[in-house]
Amino acid sequence: MSRLADAIACGEFVVTAELGPPKGTNVAHLLEMSELLRDHVHAVNVTDQQSSVMMVGSLTVCHLLLNRGIEPVFQVTCRDRNRIALQSDLLSAAVLGITNVLCLTGDYVTLGDHPQAKPVFDLDSVTLLKTVAVLQEGRDLSGKALTGVPSYFPGAVVSPAASPLGPQIAKMEKKVAAGAKFFQTQAVYDPAQFEAFVRQVEYLGVPILVGIILLKSAGMARFMNSNVAGVTVPDGLIDEIGSVPRPERAARAVAIGARLMREMNAMCQGVHIMTLGWERHVPRLLAEAGLAPSPSRSTNGE
Amino acid sequence: MIITEQKELEEIVRSLRGRRRVFLIGCGVCAATWGTGGEKEAAGMEARLKEAGIDCAGWIVTEEATCDARTTRRVIRRNREAIASSDALLVLSCGAGVQTVAALADLPVYPALNTLFLARIQNLSVSDERCRLCGACILAETAAICPVTLCPKGLANGPCGGYEDGMCEVDRERDCAWVAIYERMEALGQRGQFTVIREPKDWREDLHPGFVNKRAQKASV
Ligand code: SF4
Ligand code: SF4
Repeated sequence: MSRLADAIACGEFVVTAELGPPKGTNVAHLLEMSELLRDHVHAVNVTDQQSSVMMVGSLTVCHLLLNRGIEPVFQVTCRDRNRIALQSDLLSAAVLGITNVLCLTGDYVTLGDHPQAKPVFDLDSVTLLKTVAVLQEGRDLSGKALTGVPSYFPGAVVSPAASPLGPQIAKMEKKVAAGAKFFQTQAVYDPAQFEAFVRQVEYLGVPILVGIILLKSAGMARFMNSNVAGVTVPDGLIDEIGSVPRPERAARAVAIGARLMREMNAMCQGVHIMTLGWERHVPRLLAEAGLAPSPSRSTNGE
Repeated sequence: MIITEQKELEEIVRSLRGRRRVFLIGCGVCAATWGTGGEKEAAGMEARLKEAGIDCAGWIVTEEATCDARTTRRVIRRNREAIASSDALLVLSCGAGVQTVAALADLPVYPALNTLFLARIQNLSVSDERCRLCGACILAETAAICPVTLCPKGLANGPCGGYEDGMCEVDRERDCAWVAIYERMEALGQRGQFTVIREPKDWREDLHPGFVNKRAQKASV
């Protein structure tokens, strides 16, 4: 069962966040951060070796979260595993009760901290989504019957500010055809552009959770502009966050994030907050964005 | 064409250490065209080896591709005296040519080149890889632009999220293969082809070592 799927099905405005596992075996901090999110989000994504940096596995952290009553979204990339390992991990997730799976291609290995590694990409995000669908039909990719049939709520990602946008939308269309039931987006900073994107993909009829990253500083914004594909922070926002003194930055970052959310909430079905260490600001962000606490987001509401 | 580069002289000298005398064989097709193993390069290599103190028995460039065993066999026969006076062969060709020579000669054979890729030659200084010999060509469905080769991830169903202004996430100086495919499809009115979901590749088609025997194939039909 997936609380995320239920909330989306009910047409509720959905909130997800994102946590990155640690490099090393100490998960104390990660679990502490997850507690800050517990009562404010429908589900928490757990990244899969984000940016090709080696860390604890997403599946393990998803399991830890689920044990504590926090619904996880298992992120799966095609970078490090062939179709045998991917199917196996998907089955393992189902055995552990993890149903939300976010299917991604994955960054190339040279972007991370083991650039010497052999890249896999046996499947891609589209064929991974199809694999999820095949497993749900009780078969594996070679057509063999499964004993015990898994059930998933598969999602995918899209970059609304990709340039050019055409190939991005064409790929999104394929992901929907392959079974993606929801989309989380790359961070968006331009509501007008997002609105235009949403119009263009309306025909797909698929729920979209707009990506939000709090702008911690002007430096961070500039870094994203030059290093993160599909993210463009407009100069106005860079100036705004750069103009406030350091002690007031978090408050301003939250204010900017909340403003963006208020402008975009009506255009989509939810928000995906990539916290990057600022988990503690999520409650205030949601409050300022006008999202009243919802029993369906709180674990106590179950 | 197969693109090669000459190894550093130091590496060649190191691998020839202990050899008394070496005979050089260049390739008259790919390596000659690309300027890594033709007559000029074979003569140049001989001169540099001599300078480095290695005795050379001369050189020859196979008029056909060195990897063609039919003609290379004859070249070796014609040069048997010079070869007999040597105790090593240095081959200026791709790896296939080096091994073709090794299978025909009963003395140690060494490569003088690194074999890079199968490419289009744009001009005598620029060549770009176009085919990875994947065993099941999909160019018919990708607007004749090969994503197996040109997308570092070898994606078959459209671009990843990493392209920026049409350039690849792995190297911002290179075009994203899938943006190029999409744009060519649009230009040719084939945009509908993009929506086809390609099944995961059957890697048995890419099984190495490759081997073909056309006569045996005919016999089994
Ligand atoms: S798909 Fe690409 S790699 Fe495969 S045979 Fe065709 S051109 Fe070569
Ligand atoms: S940016 Fe384009 S070419 Fe580069 S890895 Fe992604 S899909 Fe492949």
